[in-house]
Amino acid sequence: MAKFEAGMESMVDMYIFETTSLLEQLDQILMKTENQSSFSSEEINEIFRIMHTLKGSSAMMGLENMSKLSHSIEDMFFIIREENPVISDMRSLYDLLFNASDLLKEEIELIQEDEYTATDFSEAMGKIKSFAAVLKGGAPAAEAAPSAPAAAQPAQAAAPAAQAQASQNDLTTVRVSFDDDCKMENLRALLVINKISEECEKLEYTPADIENNPETAKEIIENGFIVKFKPSSDTDIDTVLSIIADTSNVKSYEVLEMGHVIELVGTINVKVTFEEECKMENLRALIVVNNIKEKCKTISYEPADIEGNTASAQTIIDNGFIIHFTADDPKGVIRMINASPNVKMCEILSAGDAAPAAPVQTAAPAAQAAAPAQTAAPAQAAQEAPAQKSVEQINNMLGNKGGAKQSLISVNLNKLDTLLDLVGEIVITEAMVTSNPDLKGLRLDNFQKAARQLRKLNSELQDTVMSIRMVPISGAFNKMTRIVRDMKVKLNKDVDLIFEGEETEVDKSIIDQLNDPLMHMVRNSMDHGIEDTAEERIAKGKPPKGKLTLSAYNSSGEVIIVIADDGAGINSQKVIEKAERNGLLTKPMSEYSEKEIFNMIMLPGFSTNEQVTEFSGRGVGMDVVRKNIEKIGGSVSVDSKWGEGTSFIIKIPLSLSIVDGMEVSVGQSIFTIPISYIRESFKVKPSQLVKDTDGSEMIMIRGECFPLIRLYELYDLEPGISDLYEGIVILVEAEGKCACIFADELIGEQQVVVKPFSSLLNNFNVKQHGMAGCSILGDGSITIILDIGNIIGDF
Amino acid sequence: MSEAIYTAENKKTFAADGIEILFFTIGDKTYGIEIKYVNEIIGIEQITVVPKIPDYIKGVINIRGKVVPVISVRKRFGMEEIPYDDRTCIIVLEFENGTQVGVIVDRVQEVVVVDKATVSKVPDCKNVNANKYIKSIINSADDIKLLLDCDKLIMSET
Repeated sequence: MAKFEAGMESMVDMYIFETTSLLEQLDQILMKTENQSSFSSEEINEIFRIMHTLKGSSAMMGLENMSKLSHSIEDMFFIIREENPVISDMRSLYDLLFNASDLLKEEIELIQEDEYTATDFSEAMGKIKSFAAVLKGGAPAAEAAPSAPAAAQPAQAAAPAAQAQASQNDLTTVRVSFDDDCKMENLRALLVINKISEECEKLEYTPADIENNPETAKEIIENGFIVKFKPSSDTDIDTVLSIIADTSNVKSYEVLEMGHVIELVGTINVKVTFEEECKMENLRALIVVNNIKEKCKTISYEPADIEGNTASAQTIIDNGFIIHFTADDPKGVIRMINASPNVKMCEILSAGDAAPAAPVQTAAPAAQAAAPAQTAAPAQAAQEAPAQKSVEQINNMLGNKGGAKQSLISVNLNKLDTLLDLVGEIVITEAMVTSNPDLKGLRLDNFQKAARQLRKLNSELQDTVMSIRMVPISGAFNKMTRIVRDMKVKLNKDVDLIFEGEETEVDKSIIDQLNDPLMHMVRNSMDHGIEDTAEERIAKGKPPKGKLTLSAYNSSGEVIIVIADDGAGINSQKVIEKAERNGLLTKPMSEYSEKEIFNMIMLPGFSTNEQVTEFSGRGVGMDVVRKNIEKIGGSVSVDSKWGEGTSFIIKIPLSLSIVDGMEVSVGQSIFTIPISYIRESFKVKPSQLVKDTDGSEMIMIRGECFPLIRLYELYDLEPGISDLYEGIVILVEAEGKCACIFADELIGEQQVVVKPFSSLLNNFNVKQHGMAGCSILGDGSITIILDIGNIIGDF
Repeated sequence: MSEAIYTAENKKTFAADGIEILFFTIGDKTYGIEIKYVNEIIGIEQITVVPKIPDYIKGVINIRGKVVPVISVRKRFGMEEIPYDDRTCIIVLEFENGTQVGVIVDRVQEVVVVDKATVSKVPDCKNVNANKYIKSIINSADDIKLLLDCDKLIMSET
């Protein structure tokens, strides 16, 4: 983990979680809008919001590079939002944004490593800024300050005319000089501008083109760097000046002209404007008033009837919400106004007793008392309670998100893992208690009743814990959109990505393991599967646009994920020839079935593509895919039709942990067959046994024949019972195939907690031999859980 | 040479240039395992057979809710197995990646701190099968003992 300030470590996890989900949101919006090649105002606001949050939280964590990059995007979107320029070059805009999003994601990865040094994003930032400058240039009514960062400063579009006229007088002019020999004075100047831009409402500077013109460095050395600014309403000139002084390499600054500042004394008149379309402005205004009234000695506002009169909302939209107040800490009050929900800006109109802008006002207490609304003289303690209540009511009326959010919490996955482990232990312990050997032969009616109750509660507990861990697979799918998009551009192939059943839920720990394999397979399909050109596809009678389908569905306790393309398919002849060349064959070529051949592409050291591309072809991919999927207890298979397409079928268990199982004994060993596979169990009658010419046994059940698998033969064990008519036969079904399994006897049904095999055993491919894992029984002995799908598949 | 082996009580003094080794016997030979791998030593337990794996892996045991594979050192060395008795032990090893493996040995002897100076490398042999589980050779006062390479003993597939 990277080094953070003391006290910050605890927040790192939260930060990483938040940032990752924000970036995912960003990607989704970008992906959506890229297809439409335009932004709706909602989407622009959303991106703006995301970048703003990123900027803030990154700065809080002390990750200045990320904060700045986010800031530059935020600035760009500010221009897009405020000026609505015609964006001619959508393509480069998206490239810039995707690139930035990638950089941020990579940085998040880096932060989690031990050796972290902040990456320099200046190149990306430079590109974004110059693009923003182009946008700005293209926009009508260019601002006085032509350069990009300046243009990006909040221009406060809503400034009233009177304010605009007086603008020159508002500005404080400062000459900044830098350390001798600090080099690149223009960029250092830019740094100053970036730093103070947050605090300033207006900002101009000479020379203006510092960012792109290195020549300006000389000018700055000779004449100094002149900055003219007006601080935002909630700061003051001194704050800005101290920021300038604190910026690195600034040697000194000299105030040339003090701007006219509204002294915050006496009655202060402010105009509050709310975000557009936030609805019910009158109630939002009431919230503002309730927020600040404690701090104010006197307060009045117009329109005054905001609480009772919904029509006042329109007045507020048209004229703004005017508050007159006196307070000991007027700046604090203005800060509070700014911090209130939905407040867009708060502008100081005038201060002092002479208040020309306010027609109805002055802080006469009598007037206040007369005001119909609950204005707040601090002494009016009796009014406190109803006022509080009304805030709540308003929040409810507005359907404020604050309330809804409370019902969702994010929990550290480790805690859930521990919880699941505990539940697993409880299940085992329950079995230890209820089937304790000490109880054998005793008649315990009350005990049995209580035990049944315990069992019921335990299984409910289990279900609940499981459902907590289930997340829809759409998250993993959505990540693929991005990959497909990038590859479409790079490979110049036109492909539709289609999702089916993305609402299917899978255990969180499984989803996390799925990302890499999915990505590999999608890349493979895009790179090797889909034909290189549309002409090639048309020649084969296919639509020119390729199709890549990701689908997921549930099937008897498993989740099946299919990645299907309608591309060229796999040439089985080529595959087997290559396998032979690489020495991967273990039996004569002619003995391989087509399915076996397809699955060879997942052997280590196999890649049919002669050329290694950026995306795939190193021959490690599919091998890694198989390993990763097997690690989570799943399996992968390939199906293909030459000329028609290829499907990768991934089967993964719904959840890793607890299954209902039937225990059967074979000699000394106990095996568990998951109940979901079992259709029936029975004793075989001699009339049911059928033998084919080479002696393979089959069982006839209700007119259908099923192969018989003797477990002791399959696993070379010493059988307790080898006489077919003595033992028990279990009819199992998996993936549409049925078979009969022969064992000594049924022991009983029990819930078992799946424990994966040690990696030592996995080296010997126990999964391929039909063993899914093992579990500990109530008496401490170990049972092996069978993977019926694998056993039947091999038969 | 008689001071080459020190008892565990002295390990503080010599830990810097010594290695702690657990010695055990198979038949009449003594082998050592570096103590850093050893998690615990338990008596022989009920072993559940896992089919379709090499025969030197005897199966799995339950150690406080963990399923741990056990291997027979005798079988690994190509020796005859003998019936387990009350001095047969399972040494539970834990590797850096968290994998636990039990090793069945005839008898466990003692933990001693061995001076690094008395530890010599095994000679390089052309024969790939020579010394394949041996990490180094320890010259002690009365005997020459072999230090086993746990990674090769457990993890190598041959």
